[in-house]
Amino acid sequence: MGDPTGEPGSSMHGVTGREQSFAFSVASPVVHTDKTAKFDLPVDTEHKATVFKLFSFSKPHMRTFHLSWISFSTCFVSTFAAAPLVPIIRENLNLTKQDIGNAGVASVSGSIFSRLVMGAVCDLLGPRYGCAFLVMLSAPTVFSMSFVSGAAGFITVRFMIGFCLATFVSCQYWMSTMFNCQIIGLVNGTAAGWGNMGGGITQLLMPIVYEIIRRAGASAFTAWRIAFFVPGWLHIIMGVLVLTLGQDLPDGNRAALEKAGEVAKDKFGKIMWYAVTNYRTWIFVLLYGYSMGVELSTDNVIAEYFFDRFHLKLHTAGLIAACFGMANFFARPAGGWASDFSAKYFGMRGRLWTLWIIQTAGGLFCVWLGRANTLVTAVVAMVLFSLGAQAACGATFAIVPFVSRRALGIISGLTGAGGNFGSGLTQLIFFSTSHFTTEEGLTWMGVMIVACTFPVTLIHFPQWGSMFLPPSKDPVKSTEEHYYGSEWTEQEKEKNMHQGSLRFAKNAKSEGGRRVRSASTPPDNTPNNV
Amino acid sequence: MAIQKILFASLLICSLIQSSHGAEKERLFSELEKGSLEVTTKPSREGAGVVLDAGIDKISITWKLSSTGSKKEAEFKTIKVKLCYAPPSQVDRPWRKTHDELFKDKTCPHKIVARPYDKTTQSIDWILERDIPTGTYFVRAYAVDEHDHEVAFGQSTNEAKTTSLFSVQAISGRHKSLDIASVCFSVFSVLALLVFFVNEKRKAKIEQSK
Repeated sequence: MGDPTGEPGSSMHGVTGREQSFAFSVASPVVHTDKTAKFDLPVDTEHKATVFKLFSFSKPHMRTFHLSWISFSTCFVSTFAAAPLVPIIRENLNLTKQDIGNAGVASVSGSIFSRLVMGAVCDLLGPRYGCAFLVMLSAPTVFSMSFVSGAAGFITVRFMIGFCLATFVSCQYWMSTMFNCQIIGLVNGTAAGWGNMGGGITQLLMPIVYEIIRRAGASAFTAWRIAFFVPGWLHIIMGVLVLTLGQDLPDGNRAALEKAGEVAKDKFGKIMWYAVTNYRTWIFVLLYGYSMGVELSTDNVIAEYFFDRFHLKLHTAGLIAACFGMANFFARPAGGWASDFSAKYFGMRGRLWTLWIIQTAGGLFCVWLGRANTLVTAVVAMVLFSLGAQAACGATFAIVPFVSRRALGIISGLTGAGGNFGSGLTQLIFFSTSHFTTEEGLTWMGVMIVACTFPVTLIHFPQWGSMFLPPSKDPVKSTEEHYYGSEWTEQEKEKNMHQGSLRFAKNAKSEGGRRVRSASTPPDNTPNNV
Repeated sequence: MAIQKILFASLLICSLIQSSHGAEKERLFSELEKGSLEVTTKPSREGAGVVLDAGIDKISITWKLSSTGSKKEAEFKTIKVKLCYAPPSQVDRPWRKTHDELFKDKTCPHKIVARPYDKTTQSIDWILERDIPTGTYFVRAYAVDEHDHEVAFGQSTNEAKTTSLFSVQAISGRHKSLDIASVCFSVFSVLALLVFFVNEKRKAKIEQSK
């Protein structure tokens, strides 16, 4: 979590946003507040905030939160800025359906790699520079839309703009340097959801900007190019704000980062091994591809779909498309909350059922969207589909922290990459060829969502069970300590390298459900995330 | 409960309006009277392989009642002349697809002119507008009745849409001033970042050496 000791994968700690319970403030008496520190918010001994005050801009904690989510949202705005303007762009550049589809795939593919690299960049330069570098160096890619004159240029520029979605990593990393691990869940979940909203904002913003420029006298084929200056300027503005108003750590900037590592560094190869050989990792990679992935795909195709199918004006189509992305404001946190709620009574089994139900429902609404013949039913279906897909994203990351303790960072990164990969794949199969009309594509995408959500039934935790199977009866295997301890070899256990996992295991006992909670004693030490 | 009832009722009414709207719109292209109007086009530049420039070149369009006359002539109120995509420009572009249902048909999206029906020969010298995309086109004239419903048509090409087509090259939409502005802002972004970075590193060094 911006951990100066630089454990591999530590840059991704806190990313899942679900390490601990969703809470607005730290209730545990064991987190020692530092009363000598002069901050607007109460802080712990590392000077990380222990309270999340949404409408404050106090330096440095809440200021970081707002700078962070707005930069991330700006990148979503520019990545999907082309989508609502496609009806104009396709005529200017003489694009075919394949070109449009390929550009959509390109827009989400770049960030698969950039997100993986961004963790290392944040470790090297700190999250403030990581964010500023990415945002300001991708501004030229947004401006270069004015040079595009054909399909190849369009696809290339959308690919390059897509790299900036790696601000997801810097956003989450930066916040884990500023907020205590007991509330990092809500903070990161809100930031991720509000950042994703940018995909909705852009559907509204770009057509309006385009209209204004048209009315000012520009011809259609020039107006859309000028419209791209707006996201470009947003990049520059946010970059400058991050550099001038932001700081890396609660106490100042990176100079203080030279702390001696007290924790034994873990080996990247080992962590990678445990991430890759845990079959649950791959199921989540697939699942996230069909919740986040389909959300990204839909961001790319939905405005054009409403424009063409229901003969709407550009900004009307944009308005409807915006509703899809904007639902993230509450849908993603709601998914996490629903998972927590079911975990209270049914533990991990409840979380798995919640995820399956929400994601499958989303898929069914997507099928309905594809089959809707009237505008009203299409809009209703789209809104319900958005709620399902986005809540499923929240519910996914409610479970991911429990898959592994040692390899959490890498598994979160892989899951995130899976989202983008799923998006690219869906766009390639269903929206890039003349084989399917867009409405057929949406229908089949919905079917694929339902099919690819089935593997949730295969996720089994020996200590908690799965959707259809109860926990293991074996007295050794059915403990949390055994599951999390099995990621360490005997030699490593002798060196006590697994203490963090054991502490986590103790706190994770609440995933056994109500029956377990009432029987067990409350945790008696601070859950350690580092 | 009252709110829920109202919401449900409004949803029902909306969908009913939608569906009734749909029922009205099933007027088909195949039901229109063919060849009632004779339409001819003469681009300002002609020849094999000539591509007209949008915003610059003109097309001279003439239309009149066909020599064979029309059974529906009494209904003709307005003539709407439109620019239409020829089949080569519709390939792989479903938003330009030809549908038999008139309200769905996307073959002729570009309006040229609408004039009241006149028995005499009508003509217009039309400059290709700046938002016409690159493609191959022909011209079609719809005869519309007083309810604004199409009743007949005529087009400048044959039924298979293969003869008398003309090609148009769209404007690029690019401008030198735009390119320059784009480069300036990009350079500013990169420079600003480097200046900040170098500055802060220098300040940190000064701090450390103190």
